[in-house]
Amino acid sequence: MLDITLLWEMRGLILQGLWNTLWICFLGCLLALSLGLVLAALRLANPRLFGYPVACYVEICRGTPLLILLFLLYYGGPSIGLRLDAEIAGVVGIGLYGAGYFAEIYRGGFKSIPKGQLEAARMLGISPWHALIRVQIPQMARLIVPPGTNQLIILVKESALISIISVDDLTKNATTIVNQTFQVIEPYLAVALLYWLIIELIARSGYALEKRLANRQPRQAAPQGAPPHANG
Amino acid sequence: MFEILLNHYPVLLKGLTTTLVVSLSAIALGLVLGVLLAFGLTSRYRLVRWPCGLYRSFWRGTPILLQLLLVYYLLPEIGIELAPIQAAVLTLTLNTAAFQAEIFRSGISHIPAGQIEAARMAGISAWHTRRRIIMPQVFRLTLPPLTNEIITILKNSSLISVIAVTELMRVSEQIASRTFQPLETYLAAALLYLAVNLVLARLSAYLERRMTGGLATE
Amino acid sequence: MPTADTLSPPFSSRPKSIVEAQGISKQFGDLEVLTDIDFSLAPSEVVCVIGPSGSGKSTLLRCLAFLEPYDHGSVYIDGQLLGYEDRSGKRVRTSEKRVDEVRAPVGMVFQHFHLWPHRTALENVTEALRLVNGLSRRDADVEGMAMLEQVGLADRAGHFPESLSGGQKQRVAIARALAMKPRVMFFDEPTSALDPELVGEVLDVMKKLAADGMTMVIVTHEMGFAAKVADRVIFMDQGRVVESGPPATLFRQPKSERLQQFLNTWRERHID
Repeated sequence: MLDITLLWEMRGLILQGLWNTLWICFLGCLLALSLGLVLAALRLANPRLFGYPVACYVEICRGTPLLILLFLLYYGGPSIGLRLDAEIAGVVGIGLYGAGYFAEIYRGGFKSIPKGQLEAARMLGISPWHALIRVQIPQMARLIVPPGTNQLIILVKESALISIISVDDLTKNATTIVNQTFQVIEPYLAVALLYWLIIELIARSGYALEKRLANRQPRQAAPQGAPPHANG
Repeated sequence: MFEILLNHYPVLLKGLTTTLVVSLSAIALGLVLGVLLAFGLTSRYRLVRWPCGLYRSFWRGTPILLQLLLVYYLLPEIGIELAPIQAAVLTLTLNTAAFQAEIFRSGISHIPAGQIEAARMAGISAWHTRRRIIMPQVFRLTLPPLTNEIITILKNSSLISVIAVTELMRVSEQIASRTFQPLETYLAAALLYLAVNLVLARLSAYLERRMTGGLATE
Repeated sequence: MPTADTLSPPFSSRPKSIVEAQGISKQFGDLEVLTDIDFSLAPSEVVCVIGPSGSGKSTLLRCLAFLEPYDHGSVYIDGQLLGYEDRSGKRVRTSEKRVDEVRAPVGMVFQHFHLWPHRTALENVTEALRLVNGLSRRDADVEGMAMLEQVGLADRAGHFPESLSGGQKQRVAIARALAMKPRVMFFDEPTSALDPELVGEVLDVMKKLAADGMTMVIVTHEMGFAAKVADRVIFMDQGRVVESGPPATLFRQPKSERLQQFLNTWRERHID
């Protein structure tokens, strides 16, 4: 039978793991979101110069496991003088990896806005920067919220890999409890539930945001097609 | 990096083979389970839909590493002894089945209801409608997300190194600790993963171009 | 080869031109879409540009606005070179900011309106007032309402573009351009995307503008409108100006065979 008291006794480890998972994911996702935007904007601003390098970066992120990137940062870094704490390596790894995916998501958003709308803005003397934040981003937002939410969820799930480079996150601390108590089900199930809770929270916020943005613009129905999908 | 590739290619290739075997068996087994689940998810009966939904929710909503650890440590507790590689294939299968089910469910929902009605009105049985009319189209419709899923599973298979399956990632760790060249070694491994995934993506794009003929775009 | 005086009104009545193009040409890849075009526009003049599709008339307008950079020649707005500058004898592109400065007297209306769908009609009009002219929301709203009033759409201020008809959208787009107090308005086939019954309301607004003395360049297929409103009509074909002059002359006594053909085709289609 499930032993709840065991979890209560081990609450310190669980809470520490939760805290570490939360802040590392938060910073990692923030880095991924901003770096991804920079990459997409560079590609948009000067396709001839940045198109190919950004496309390569995206392919690399999509084609290699996050675990390899984490190992490169944490174990490979020191040989080129880059010494990172495991937590920081986690943030940087999640950030760099996620940026490739977000760059693609933003690009899809940028591409969806008719060029003429920007020309109209330019003809009124609205600067490219203002056109970006007032015309492009508000319209993109609605389109990129669903795949963006999906990607954030994937990153949170993939963040469990930082336990392998010795970060005391939820997964690592669950394993620690398993090893200390020889109970398998309780710690793993409890932690699975916590992940599920975080993810559900992100999913609901994304959904609420999507609805709010849709209300602001009663325009087109949500884009049809296979729902965003990805494993993690 | 190339030095590592040259000096250690036999072990690296062996690791890569294990990676491919594990991933592809999981994909194939997951496909069968996924199709069944997809029909479960679209079933008329709530008693079938509900557990299928719960299954999908758990396997899609928790980290795959956690799932692996749970399967690996839990099975011996209930008296099932599995070799690490078997536990790895099992976990990846159970995981990918949930994702593939969702892909197929969405694919099925994109087939115009009129086609199914037409089949039923022509007296074609529900089973034959599924097998001869729905599924062939679903496979074409779902090729792009299915390819993504294969690539994801290939990438995720790297974490079965934690239960000591000597696939590409594990082999790289061993080489890194022997040569003290972690950077070069992991770069080499990254290159191998990237190469396999790029080939897969190209192959899928090629198949998709060939299969678009006769597909209802509706 | 058209020369400057065939394109402009007689010198005696010609004050300084607002828009002046000298020998501009434009290529898309291997395709030459504009060849050596001269153009000049006097204050309060209304010029209609006509021609078969693919003749380069829209490209000409877009080059005059520098939405497409022209390859050779020069475009001057109020005497200032648009889009390029001389830097120690070499011609280089200017910054976007400089383009904005030189182009400021020009307002533009597009075939497909290009309203911003996430902004209401009023917000479409006030956006630039606030961002570019730095007006407060309240001042911009007052100004914007006046503009909507002018195109007869004050009652649609709070509507999003999707709930407006094509004709209403285009009138909002005109109000949006007018809000910036342009001295010249460019219209790029403003009625081509509209259902026939909605064309009239847009043309009416444009007629009113012309009557108020607005300087305009209009790329259009509306021959009747051109005949009534234009001071001068330019006929383009294959990237060149073939003929130009007052509408009465041009439509009644076309000199070139190509213009005759063009007008005949148009008449056949519109008399049926």
